[in-house]
Amino acid sequence: MSTRSHPGRFPQPQTPRPGDAPTSRRLVLAAGAGAALALAAPAGCGLFDDEPEPLPEPDPLQPILDQALALAVAHERAAATEPSLAARLAPLARDHRAHAAELARLIGTVPGSAAPGASAGPVAQTPAELRRAEQAAARTATAAARTTQPDRAGLVGSIAACRAAHAEALR
Amino acid sequence: MSPELAAALAAEEAAIYAYGLIGVQLTAGRDRAEARGAEQAHRARRDLLVSRLAEANASTAPAPAGYELPFPVTDRPSALKLAVHVEDGVAQAWRATLPVTTGADRSTGLSALTDAAVRATRWRRVAGVTPLTMPFPGRPS
Repeated sequence: MSTRSHPGRFPQPQTPRPGDAPTSRRLVLAAGAGAALALAAPAGCGLFDDEPEPLPEPDPLQPILDQALALAVAHERAAATEPSLAARLAPLARDHRAHAAELARLIGTVPGSAAPGASAGPVAQTPAELRRAEQAAARTATAAARTTQPDRAGLVGSIAACRAAHAEALR
Repeated sequence: MSPELAAALAAEEAAIYAYGLIGVQLTAGRDRAEARGAEQAHRARRDLLVSRLAEANASTAPAPAGYELPFPVTDRPSALKLAVHVEDGVAQAWRATLPVTTGADRSTGLSALTDAAVRATRWRRVAGVTPLTMPFPGRPS
């Protein structure tokens, strides 16, 4: 009875002192990280089940390859939706397909096997939207070309230049 | 200093020479302005390369007084064709610098390659040539 009547003890678990908060947050974060890892492991196993040679980390050029496929799809869809644009957009789509094939050869994946960006997010439709998408993709490729290995710099540089030229062609 | 940067300098010198001939054949104000802008861009890259090569104490060969043209330039269509040809050549020269450079020099090469590809596209549009773009600007054909 004496402990229950103690004014300081009972409310403590419900209203922890400010000094206790960081400790409990750390515990929550640590638990969260563990759960995330536990979730990632089986998902990773499933993902790589069909891969002959699973890579520990995606190739730094994988995002450039994904972008090439997404841009090819965007141009092809826009051309299908608006046939009057087909003559203008078809060569651009072909350029992106050529980029994807070269990058896939370099990275060692099958082109078209991975295109997470192709279906994700809003797809550019009008020439103005496609132009903005090309500009953004050119910036990404230029950034990658700045730091990539010497034997990859030429290809990635050409891809960046081609995307910038596409933006010009879409003016 | 790499022979690739010296080759880029030679390509820029050739471009400056070529735009002198191209400008003569272009009479429309827009065409001439485009050619003037391109020539200025090539002069700026040439100057950048000259100072970069001087920094590295690399001797640079003087630009030749004349060049053998790939075809006669006698009118607007042949002038526009030469403009595309020149930009493709400049793109090739700069692309070759990318594997042998890092940092700021790599960035310069990327900008120069991209600018040449964009100008080539613009000239193809002016000339009515399709497709307007090539998949791998600067890749030796």
